[in-house]
Amino acid sequence: MPPPPPPPTLTDTAGPLGPGEVAGTVKPVDLPRKPLVLGDRSYHWVTEKVCGICEQKTPTWWWWSFAIACGIASFTLMGLVYLVATGVGVWGLANPVNWGWAIVNFVFWIGIGHAGTLISAVLCLLQQRWRTSINRTAEAMTIFAVVCAGIFPLFHVGRVWFAWWLFPLPNANWIWPNFRSPLEWDVFAVSTYGTVSVLFWYMGMIPDLGTLRDRAQSTWRRFFYGTLAMGWRNSSRHWHNYEMAYLLLAGLSTPLVLSVHTIVSFDFAASILPGWHTTIFPPYFVAGAIFSGFGMVLTLILPLRAVFGLHDLVNQYHIDAMCKITLATGSMVGYAYAMEFFIAWYGANPYEGFAFINRAFGQYAWAYWIMISCNVISPQLFWFRKIRENTALVWIISIFVNVGMWFERFVITVTSLANDFLPSSWGYYSPTIVDIFTFFGTFGVFSVLFLLFLRFLPLIAFSEVKALSLPQADPHNHDHPQNQRGQEARG
Amino acid sequence: MSTTGTSTRSSPAAGLAGAGSRRPLPGLLLALAVAGIGIGLVGLGTGLSAGDARPVISWLLGFSFWTSILLGSLFFVMIFNLFDAGWSVLVRRQLEHLLAGFKWIAILFLPLLLIAWFYRDPGILWKWLNPEHILPNGYTVATDALYQAKEPYLNKTAFTLRSLLYFGVFLFFANALRRNSFGLDEDGDRSRVQRQKVLSGAGVFACGLALTFAAIDWFMSIEFHWFSTMYGVWFFAASMRAALAFLLILLFFQADRGVLQGLHRPSHNYQLGCIALAFTVFWAYISFSQYFLIYQANIPEETFWYNIRHMNADGTTNSWWWVGLTLIFCNFLLPFLFLLFYKTKVRIPLILFVAAWILTFHVVDLYFNILPSKSAPADNVLNYKVRQFTINFWDVAVFVGIGALVLWAYLTSLREKGAIPRRDPRIREALEHHE
Repeated sequence: MPPPPPPPTLTDTAGPLGPGEVAGTVKPVDLPRKPLVLGDRSYHWVTEKVCGICEQKTPTWWWWSFAIACGIASFTLMGLVYLVATGVGVWGLANPVNWGWAIVNFVFWIGIGHAGTLISAVLCLLQQRWRTSINRTAEAMTIFAVVCAGIFPLFHVGRVWFAWWLFPLPNANWIWPNFRSPLEWDVFAVSTYGTVSVLFWYMGMIPDLGTLRDRAQSTWRRFFYGTLAMGWRNSSRHWHNYEMAYLLLAGLSTPLVLSVHTIVSFDFAASILPGWHTTIFPPYFVAGAIFSGFGMVLTLILPLRAVFGLHDLVNQYHIDAMCKITLATGSMVGYAYAMEFFIAWYGANPYEGFAFINRAFGQYAWAYWIMISCNVISPQLFWFRKIRENTALVWIISIFVNVGMWFERFVITVTSLANDFLPSSWGYYSPTIVDIFTFFGTFGVFSVLFLLFLRFLPLIAFSEVKALSLPQADPHNHDHPQNQRGQEARG
Repeated sequence: MSTTGTSTRSSPAAGLAGAGSRRPLPGLLLALAVAGIGIGLVGLGTGLSAGDARPVISWLLGFSFWTSILLGSLFFVMIFNLFDAGWSVLVRRQLEHLLAGFKWIAILFLPLLLIAWFYRDPGILWKWLNPEHILPNGYTVATDALYQAKEPYLNKTAFTLRSLLYFGVFLFFANALRRNSFGLDEDGDRSRVQRQKVLSGAGVFACGLALTFAAIDWFMSIEFHWFSTMYGVWFFAASMRAALAFLLILLFFQADRGVLQGLHRPSHNYQLGCIALAFTVFWAYISFSQYFLIYQANIPEETFWYNIRHMNADGTTNSWWWVGLTLIFCNFLLPFLFLLFYKTKVRIPLILFVAAWILTFHVVDLYFNILPSKSAPADNVLNYKVRQFTINFWDVAVFVGIGALVLWAYLTSLREKGAIPRRDPRIREALEHHE
């Protein structure tokens, strides 16, 4: 009997093979994909786990946290009341620094507000299924961060009851906003972003709200979740419409995410001030916003995971992915710092050169080096797996990222203004107690809103986890190479 | 594109050339490369003997076009490795073969370095290479205040060393990634997968910096008064688009009559089409931001770069105005609208059309960035004229010659190494990819 013909190979000039033949010749090395949900969890477990958080009796720690958060938030209230009663002179703004903490805090919070929609929209378009474990929390964070951000431009006008003049409404005096000002573009960019983010967040939550409604025991819960669920019945048509709407909103949100911080960067870069006017600002600000957003997501999600026991849903895979995005965007920010510095020299403009030397070695050098240490150096630690696997360390680095990104906005805003073109008017900017109160209190405002979210709404998009992250959701589960491993493990 | 398999066995090169081709394609390409590069060198010689910079720019244009494609390919290989996606494994191997052309590209930069060192006016292309070069204002480069400030960076020795460093970095990562990927085919050592990731992670950083400074040295410094922090990002965006468009064309041929028959599917094209859409928007975002911020601030030290791309010294509109408009509409708007639709990303003639379109206008973008500069004293009040948009014989010869050499290197690599990364851990996902 003749020996069987040798199997075809692909490493020579064999040329085209049919797909069937190729499938027979490939011998992939064994490197299975990691599961997105650990513990081989069932649909039921996921539902119970997430719904249980907002169905259980309010824990004592929640009440304590809520009370403390309200206390902190009252600082913002005090600051704002004093500001409105007295005038914007109570802030530390004075020549030559006429932009201070208010815009720093605005950009800081808006930057944080980028990760939520980025995770939901951009990662949705990129088909990254791991986003489902963290997107809801991140979106909530986005909305609350936008709320905190909005406080500063709203109240910096002083007579806040005239803030509606920012909008181009017809009026008897023919007063129109200056459409050529990037600050006016901010009004449209931020309000559009806020609106779409809320829509996206709410719409994505509807299937989960339907489940909560169906599980509700008390009348008020049935009414509350029933109203919010808008008649969701899990029908095929509902799901079809939902998925199409989700995709459309993802497509709409993606350019919005990028445009908001681009326009925020225009606030500075469209001017002629050394240190502000540089062409790399738009992508640099966007990268910085994503960086700070992911920093805050890590800051929030790691304690939540510990408190609610969500280790199977938010596992090392998710932490790794977030750390890597933080590393990538932090490095982009570092690249932008380096390019600014290099071109400040290469451009041979003495004013530009001075602005950067002054940043690094002038009166605000301390702020500059805090910024560099936190934003450029600390995320580089995420190169190492051991550090990414050390949750406490990841959390500490995420705090560094938050601190560094606040200082970045401070350095940009204040150093260029404090030492401007006219040395006789140079000064040293310091915030007043009202500045400090108002900013400190925003962490309370954020926490109050976030705690309410945790108490009443599902903090993980469990419908999506069930549909995308669990292997049993895939009808072709057995046929797919990436799932075979898990299948074998389950026996 | 064929989606059914065939067991026809022929060499990949002959397969690529099409059934019935009597000449082996690599031979044809090599002949074309020798002819094109030879003509380009004749052009260089003619230009240098006449003191005409235009043929030298032809060389730079051709070099830049293919360098951008290879740089984009290098970044895609690294990004695909880092992202660990399943679908991209098949196309990544094609890019790895394409990187075989990098060493030839490095060699083809040598004529420009030789001009810098041995030609009587080294500043024929990059004015600052010759401090005695006469600027349009009638003074020498050496007396120029901005040159004096930038001289520690813009000088012959530093330029040469930097260029060698850039190619050293590009070649190191291109070769290491290729070697490791092909090695995995042979020994199936799974530690290579991790090594690919480490190499890619480090490579993105090193190559990102090298690309940035290469763009500053080779393109931005042609008008050495001008500066933009965004410039490196522009070249990155343009290179990624160009590589993607070239890859789509390559994949069309390989799927239609080459080594990927029945393996490369519309679903792969869909993914690549989505990335092409993203980079189309990214290119426009970068280009617009750079333009807009300079326009808005209206500082003469910066605006002159766009002004000479709009009008002559006497205020009349010049050819670059039309080229600029072409870029807005043809390099962004039309491909953007085209790629928005699902069908255009999966129907082969359509995706082939848009890929060719993007490559064509990538060339125009390079012309826009490289060609116009203030040249030679002229009898107008500002004493300069702007080099206008022209396409000449030397341009075409260099484009074709270097392109043929890159393709020859690609096919040679394809013939020597596997067409498919058969031991890659995600190869089955790539083969079975569907939407």
